[in-house]
Formats: sequence, structure tokens, C-alpha cells
Amino acid sequence: MSAFTESLKLGVAQITSRKMYVYAMVLVPLLCTLFFVGLMHRGLPLRTPVGIVDLDLSPSSRKITRMLNSEEVLAIDYRYDSFEEAMASVRRGESFGFFLIPENFERDAVAGKEPSLSLFTNMSFFVPGTLSFKGFKTGAVLTTAGLAQTKLTAVGVPDDATMALLSPVSIDNNGIGNPWMNYNYYLTTSFMSALMQLMVMLVTIYSITQEIKWGTSVRWLATARGSILRAVVGKLLPQTVVFYITGLAMQGLLYGFFHFPLNCSAWTIAAAMLLLVIASQALAVFFVSVLPNGRLALSVAALVGILAFSIAAFSFPVASMYGSVGIFSYILPVRYYFLIYCNQGLNGLALYYSRFYFAALLAFPLLGWVLLPRLKRACLRPVYVP
Amino acid sequence: MSPEPLPAMNPLKSIYNWWAGLAKAFRHEMHTITHDAGVLVFFVVLPLAYPIIYTIIYNPEVVENLPVAVVDNSRTAQSRELVRMTDATPELELYDYATDMGEARRWWSEQKVVGVLEIPADYAASIGRDEQAHVTFFCDMSLLLRYRAALSALTSVQLATGSQITQARIDALGADGLISASPVEVDTNFLGDTQQGFASFIMPGIVVLILQQSMVLGICLIAGTRSDRRRRGDYITDRDDYRAPASASVLGKALAYTFFYIPATLFILHYVPVIFRLPHQGDAIQWLLFSLPLLLASAMFGLTLSHMMREREDAFIYIVFTSVVFLFMSGLTWPMFAMPDALHALSRVVPATAGVEGFVHINSNSATLAEQSHNYLWLWFLAAAYFVGAVILQAILNRHARRALSRA
Repeated sequence: MSAFTESLKLGVAQITSRKMYVYAMVLVPLLCTLFFVGLMHRGLPLRTPVGIVDLDLSPSSRKITRMLNSEEVLAIDYRYDSFEEAMASVRRGESFGFFLIPENFERDAVAGKEPSLSLFTNMSFFVPGTLSFKGFKTGAVLTTAGLAQTKLTAVGVPDDATMALLSPVSIDNNGIGNPWMNYNYYLTTSFMSALMQLMVMLVTIYSITQEIKWGTSVRWLATARGSILRAVVGKLLPQTVVFYITGLAMQGLLYGFFHFPLNCSAWTIAAAMLLLVIASQALAVFFVSVLPNGRLALSVAALVGILAFSIAAFSFPVASMYGSVGIFSYILPVRYYFLIYCNQGLNGLALYYSRFYFAALLAFPLLGWVLLPRLKRACLRPVYVP
Repeated sequence: MSPEPLPAMNPLKSIYNWWAGLAKAFRHEMHTITHDAGVLVFFVVLPLAYPIIYTIIYNPEVVENLPVAVVDNSRTAQSRELVRMTDATPELELYDYATDMGEARRWWSEQKVVGVLEIPADYAASIGRDEQAHVTFFCDMSLLLRYRAALSALTSVQLATGSQITQARIDALGADGLISASPVEVDTNFLGDTQQGFASFIMPGIVVLILQQSMVLGICLIAGTRSDRRRRGDYITDRDDYRAPASASVLGKALAYTFFYIPATLFILHYVPVIFRLPHQGDAIQWLLFSLPLLLASAMFGLTLSHMMREREDAFIYIVFTSVVFLFMSGLTWPMFAMPDALHALSRVVPATAGVEGFVHINSNSATLAEQSHNYLWLWFLAAAYFVGAVILQAILNRHARRALSRA
């Protein structure tokens, strides 16, 4: 048997030796995919629980309440008698905001005294806060428009002209590729790829440093006839295959079963997944070569892997971060995978525009290769530092 | 065969043994924590460093000056005014005028712009004819935060442009004085995160999660290290742990972790918001009292999970990724009311879920403990439930270990 085949056999033997590997390589990525898709299956959270403080109790105020309740982002679940009661309810976490109609609202509006409507939203919770704000604001604007329209009609302006008069400019917002504003499409896609990167890095480092920990690294190198490259590739190739199959299953779930937008060839995104797995393995090999100590290398990978969820900027844009933090995002394979998905999958651009991202992912194996001699030295004299 | 001496007949003696076991477990665990560099990284470095790193990432708080291309088919004073107003918003910035949509699309493809504002040829004419003018904005949807920023900027542009024109038209009608363009004033109040900053919203929740996760990681590291010793056949080093009553040793350990976490808790729940000027409205007594069951429940949760660890390094594989799952379970990013019921129920078994919800309300909305009693009591319940779980698992482990010890 050739040295490479024997190294491969060792690699397969290792990942079949403990259930932990199945858990980390298959179960965690797939169960998390189902978790995220299930969690956000509504796409956009509708019917935010909010309340109303109606101090006017007039036909107008009841009309406003009905109008607010008919908005899809709001659910008027609570009616309060006072401002204090409404605030307490927000503090208890029952509602995410409330709309206040002051006393004598109808009378003052008719008399032209410009009464004010107040809206309160709890921005401590970003998504429901933003959505209830949007709902309340729309309600207030519609109320204003309705009152103005009544008056304009009264002074003799024809009905069809009032809309143009009240809202002379309208700006239509079109979201490219995701007109539904579906959160699931972003969060699940980006978080799942970052999770993949995290698990690949952790398993890679764990499996290599196990040899050093239990003192089997000398034998491991000897099986590969002294070639660290052969030993590492032999160990990692079976993992690449398992992770890639898991990655494809994940993509199959998202784009096939759950019909997430994919405006490019399935081959493109499948190729990007393969490159993501290999690039993450290479980055992990680089870490473990720098720090051939299981706990330290795993700590670095965990730190980088967890920060990737924030830094690779799936929610907060890199361009808005401090420069030095933003630059850091470019050493993460998942950043390139995410950009490829946005360009190809979401925006359906020509492959040409993603050429640099593919090239960057292809460069990671070089990074893993440069410090292999250092890893070899550590493997020849294994020292376990707990 | 019974490897252990029978329980002491004297009840007073067994009570004494229990308390002695508790004190011993506490002391022993404090020693373990302070003499293991790996545990100290999780227990000290992680809670100190992570909040700072996260705040630095998110501290710019808001999305500003997103580059926008303009395709102006109207080329009039009115359309240029609209572009000037768009450019003047904090969120959007004019990248350049594109000759046509083709050019604008190319800029977008090359990621030079994140949106395109298309002004139709009849824009000024529509305004002149007292009709409604339609403008179209195409927004890149790669990040929702950008879409949100663009949306709010354009809404204000639309309202500002609109009210100018409306007032002019009403004046022209001669109805001036009789009606105004805005018969009702709208007064907007943001509670909690009043500046709507990203860091101010996410940090108060994340710090709670950091407390729980760093503690669970450290506990699992300790348990994995003991398991490593057992794999090597060494039952002697930790013999006191196996011989003490399971309930005393679990409680002693949990108290040690909780005690050790007091400085980190003060730093994370008080100094982090103060240093970074995050929302910090709550009364100190309220959140201090709230943090006690949070720490205890996290410790018990960690002690229960720690029995999954077979090796010292297993904590990394089993625990690290859960931070992301628990973040989403906490309702901070995806609200509870929009979760499927099954996941909502599942999320309650994680202490951080009640912890985040309770602490954010206390910290950012100045809720009192009474107003957050459902979360507070739930944390005590979780602490008790995981205590029982950890004791059962510890008792099983002890039986096995005592047998191994008696054989040795």
C-alpha cells in the first residue's frame, strides 16, 4: 500500500473512532440549518404585540385604533387607560410599544388646533421596535392625510386631486433580489456558512492536535513516510469529503427544499461550498502550525470563528466598521463565500464580478502550506501542554 | 458489591459530612480554576475581552453615506433639488450621475453603489401639473441594515419635498390659513435604545450571553480534564470529588463558579455599558439581584452539560457553536412572538434566554425586578432543575469512579 493510502486510512479511522466527529461534521451543521430555517420561517416577523392608550374615546380615535390593528406588522393586543400603565407593560416585556391618542383629539383636530399623536417604541429590541415604529408611523401619516383630505374636500378641492396634493412625490423602494425583505434568506444563508467555517476549523485542529496530545504524531508522520504534507492531506481529505457532503445537503435544503433565492447555476454555489470547506481547513492548518497546542489553537479558531459571524458582516456592513476591523474580515474564508452568494445567488450577476472572491478562496491552501515545516517539528517532538 | 462504607448511621454526622463536602468542593474548585490557564482564559480573559471586541465592531452604531447612483431623466431644477436633498441625508451620498440605467447597473454590479435613484422624464412636469410624481429607488439587498437606512432616508426626503410642494399648492388654492398640510403633529419617542444604534441595541443582550457561555465553556473544560485523567486510569487525583455526596459537590462547585464570577459580572453588566456609553438605565439593586440566579442557573446548566465531555478539548466542539444558536433563541435578533411554538418552548431551557430578556428590560428600559419576575423566577427554577440534573449525572459518575477507586 502506498504511503498516501495508508495516511488516508488513518484519517478515516480517526473520524470513525468517536461519535463526536459525526456530531460535529454532520449533525450540528444540518440540525442548525433546520433550526434557523424553522425559527424564521415567517420571513418577516408580523403582528408585533403593541398597545394603545386611547384617552379621547371618540369615533376618530376608535377609527385610528382599527386602522392600526389592520396593519400587518401590528397587533393591538393591549388597551391601556394611562401612559404609566402602558410604560409598565413595555417594561414587563408584554408589548413593544404603544400609540397614544390624547384627550380631546377629535375636537382639536376639527378645530384646527393641531393636536399631537404620540408613538412609543421599544428600540431595545431592534426588529420588533423598528417594525412597530414603521406601523405606527404609517398609521399617523394616514390619519393626518385622512383629516387633511376631509378639509380639502370641504373647501372644494376635487377628491381625485387631494392625493396628489397631499403626497406630491412618491418614492418606490425596490429591493433587488429580495423584494419580500425576507430575513431568513440572509441570516440563514450567512450564518450557516459561518457555522460551516467554524466547525471545519475546530474539527481540523482537534483532529491534528489529538496526535500531539496522545503522542501518536510520530507514528502518524512515519505512516506518511515523513512527509507532513502527505500526512495532513491524508488526514484531512476524508474530512473534506464528509464536510462537503454535509455542505451540499445544507445547500440542497436551503435552495432546493425551502426555495431560497438562487439566481445562479447550482454548480457555482456548490463550487463555492467546496472552496469554503478547503479554505477553512487551510486556515485551521495555518493556526495549528503557528500554535501546535490543542487548546490554544482551538481558542484562536473559536475566537475567529465566532467573531466571523459579526465581522464577516452579515448584519452590520463592513464599510461602516472602523477601518482596521473591516480589513480583518478579509482573512475569513466565509466572507468570500458570502460575497459570492450575494453576487451570484441573490443578485444574479455574471461570474466575472466574483472572480476575485474565487481567487481569494483558492489562495487559502497556500497559507496552510507555508508553515507546515513548523507543524512537522512539533509532531516529531510531541509535547502536550494542557 | 458495595465499594463505599455504608452511610453513617448518625444523622448529625451525615449532615456534617454533607457540609464538609460542600466546603471542600468549593475550595477544591477555586483551586482548580486559579491553577488552570485554560479555565482562566474562559473565566477571565473571555468576559473581559469579548465585550470590548464586540463593541469595537459595532461601535460606529449607524450606517452612513451609502453611495447612490442617480439616473436623472428629468434634468430640471426640481429633479436636481431632489438629488441634493438625497445627498444631504446622513444615510445616503451621491456617488455620481449615470447616463442611463445600464451604466448605473454596471456600477452596482461592481459594488461602487448600493442603490440607484431613477427620476422619470416627466418628474418636473408632473409637479407642475399638480399630479403625483413617481421616483423609483433600486436598493441592493445584500444587507438588510442598508435597506433600512436607505428606506428611512428616502422617506424623509419624500416627506420634506412633499410638504414644500403641498404648502405651495395650498397657498395657490387660496385656502391658506384655513388648513395646513399637517393638521396633526406626530411625536415619536424611542424607548430603551434611544439613539437606535446597533451597539446600543445588541450589546446589553450579548453581554449576558457572554457570561453564560464563558462559564459553561470553563466548566466543560474542567470536566473534560477530569475525564482525560480517568481515560488515563487516574482516579486518585480527583478522588475527593468522587467520594463527596453528589449534591454537596455539585452545589459547592456551582457556588465556586458563581463566586469567582462576581468581578466579571460587575465589569460586564456595569462597566461595559458605562465605558461605551451604552444604555444603562436600570437600578443597580435590581440587576444585581437579577444576576444571582442567572449565574447560578448558568453554573448548573454548565455542570449538567459537562458530563458530555470526554476530553479536555471537547468543550470547543460541543459548546462554542451553541453561542450562535442561543443568541437567536434569546429573542434579541429574532423576536419571541415570531418563533414557532416548539422553538419558543425549547429556548426557555437555556438560562440566557430569560437572562437576556430580563436584563435588557431592566438595563435599557429600567424595569424593576417585580416587572421582570417571570424571568427572575424562571431562572431560579432552571437553577433548581439543572441542579437536580447535575446531581443525578454526578451520582452516576461517582458510582463508577468509586468502583474504580476500590479496585485500585
